[in-house]
Amino acid sequence: MSTLLTYVAISDGKIKRSSLEVLSHCKSIADAGGMACEAVIIDENATSYTDDVQKYGASKIYTVEGDAFKQHQNGSLLKALTKVNEVAQPSLIAFASTEGTKDVLGALAAQLKAGVVADVSSFNFDGTKVTAQRPMMAAKIMGNVNVTGNPVLVSVRSGSYDLKENPATAEVVSVDVTVESGDLRATLREIISATGDTIDLNEAEAIVAAGRGVKDEEAKALISELASVLNAGIGASRALTESGVYDPSLQIGQTGKVVSPQLYIAVGISGAIQHTAGMANSKVIVAINKDADAPIFEIADYGIVGDLYKILPTFIEEIKKIKN
Amino acid sequence: MKFIVSIKMVPDVYAPFQIKDGELLMDGDRTVLNAYDASAVEEALVLTEKHGGDVEVVCIGSAKASETIRKALAMGAAKGYHIQTNGDETYDSSSYAQILASFLSDKEYDILSFGKQSQDTDSGLTGGMVAQLLNLPYATNAVGLEIEDNKLVVKRQGDSGQEMIELPTPCLVTCSNDMNEPRIPNLKGIMASKRKPVESLSVSDLGVDATALEAVSKVTSYEPVPARAAGKKFEGEPEEIAREVAQLLDTEANVL
Ligand SMILES: Cc1cc2nc3c(=O)[nH]c(=O)nc-3n(C[C@H](O)[C@H](O)[C@H](O)COP(=O)(O)OP(=O)(O)OC[C@H]3O[C@@H](n4cnc5c(N)ncnc54)[C@H](O)[C@@H]3O)c2cc1C
Ligand SMILES: Cc1cc2nc3c(=O)[nH]c(=O)nc-3n(C[C@H](O)[C@H](O)[C@H](O)COP(=O)(O)OP(=O)(O)OC[C@H]3O[C@@H](n4cnc5c(N)ncnc54)[C@H](O)[C@@H]3O)c2cc1C
Repeated sequence: MSTLLTYVAISDGKIKRSSLEVLSHCKSIADAGGMACEAVIIDENATSYTDDVQKYGASKIYTVEGDAFKQHQNGSLLKALTKVNEVAQPSLIAFASTEGTKDVLGALAAQLKAGVVADVSSFNFDGTKVTAQRPMMAAKIMGNVNVTGNPVLVSVRSGSYDLKENPATAEVVSVDVTVESGDLRATLREIISATGDTIDLNEAEAIVAAGRGVKDEEAKALISELASVLNAGIGASRALTESGVYDPSLQIGQTGKVVSPQLYIAVGISGAIQHTAGMANSKVIVAINKDADAPIFEIADYGIVGDLYKILPTFIEEIKKIKN
Repeated sequence: MKFIVSIKMVPDVYAPFQIKDGELLMDGDRTVLNAYDASAVEEALVLTEKHGGDVEVVCIGSAKASETIRKALAMGAAKGYHIQTNGDETYDSSSYAQILASFLSDKEYDILSFGKQSQDTDSGLTGGMVAQLLNLPYATNAVGLEIEDNKLVVKRQGDSGQEMIELPTPCLVTCSNDMNEPRIPNLKGIMASKRKPVESLSVSDLGVDATALEAVSKVTSYEPVPARAAGKKFEGEPEEIAREVAQLLDTEANVL
């Protein structure tokens, strides 16, 4: 029987929701095709997450634990995934397309001599072949891709699938992986974290995104206030991460993150294709821009033509009223 | 430090295109140097200007890719390698990685630099594959590079923060365009590039097993991405339209 193995990523002590989306989808494929749905967790406290993971239907969960997996390091993750692949012998390994995944996917494919397709927006598997759709050309075109291999590796954009609980009692299999100093030729010196307790943009229900129109502290304060009223995450265009106004981890778009919240409010963003590539799948898009011809209005459900300094104070007040 | 930067010729994303019966028709004349690779070239130039060393580039592509190589030479790279293809091969990332690994196997270098992804496909696989094939330590998605005591210090954009990673040489790094603003070649650079050496090779020169290059990842057809339905645009008195849209988000869109 073929096995679909989902890599469940842990970040900052939490399961990445996008990996549970992938696991939910793998469970549906497995059920439809009479295949096994399994998961792997690699983290210093991997076992503590198995209860949450089995809710999504994994019949077997491999855990790899140890100090080496406290922080993301490609050398240790590669070693662990290689070992788990040997033990589990999956036909397919599915990943959420996080930065952690992107860091190892190519190397893992070369190591396992596997077929691979990255960053898909949907996929299916018939036991030997993956058929997938992936956006290309800054998300202007959708490509249909076929991939074979043993195994096939697939990484999936966040928000591509809904979470679907499917409680199962999983067999937990601990896999021993020791990472020796020789395995890690790269040294992780330190992690410079984004300031404050920022909301994970991939999991945010609402995002307020700032662009070059957000010019000063006054405008930044309006963005923060709007985000807090909506309990939204703050995102930014490249214009503002590049100039250091916002942390680079908040960049949305082709280089940055791909997001699909229920509500996306673009403030002072022109709507370059490299930006919209990362947010065009949001459910409701609001754009605030003083240029009536800005391309962002072509994809906005609600376009407000005006100066953000004049629009935002009233907009925020009105939302506060509605929320109360 | 000796850098070899792997650069790709990509179709210009702004060029008009058509999709007919699942086939993608684009103006093959409009190509550019992949933006991420331009940043990789720029950073290699900055670091060698500061610490000494030189920068070479390698590109796998059709005859037209010689323009892409010239662009990198005009920016300041010293030498180019052009691994020629017909342009109609069905290679995937793994095929390119194997060709590059085989080309690099007898070259001397300290740092191999790649783009973190290709602007047309966004795959982001080739760099990691080459690192694995050549058994090199590597880091991806670099937003900053420094050289310290013969080591490469990479600032990498991770999921929630930046990781500072130290790599011994030889090593491999993949670069984000968030790292720098690539220089635009000036006239002097463009003139100089015409005299710089470009070595031409073929895939068969490299002794790569042709069957190993067979793509396992194949694009079978293309579809246009459905456009979002046009929404409503509000113009007028700022306070009025701000209030109106806030109301609609509640009553019509149901997202508050
Ligand atoms: C390979 C590649 C990858 C890229 N990746 C990304 C990416 O991941 N994310 C990304 O965002 N970009 C990316 N870019 C850059 C992208 O092409 C644009 O340059 C960028 O998105 C522009 O940011 P912006 O809209 O904030 O700025 P601008 O294009 O300068 O737009 C500013 C907008 O603000 C409006 N404005 C100004 N003042 C006000 C005011 N007071 N009130 C209301 N509106 C106002 C203006 O009318 C204008 O429309 C990439 C580019 C390349 C080549
Ligand atoms: C529209 C389109 C979609 C495609 N989709 C896929 C797909 O989903 N999967 C797949 O396997 N193949 C795909 N292909 C085939 C594609 O030609 C190769 O995968 C691709 O050229 C290899 O690079 P990449 O785009 O995968 O690069 P990435 O892995 O995204 O490239 C990363 C870096 O590798 C280096 N690099 C890549 N190609 C070269 C080169 N030719 N010469 C020198 N350096 C290079 C550059 O430094 C580049 O920045 C597609 C081709 C097209 C035209």
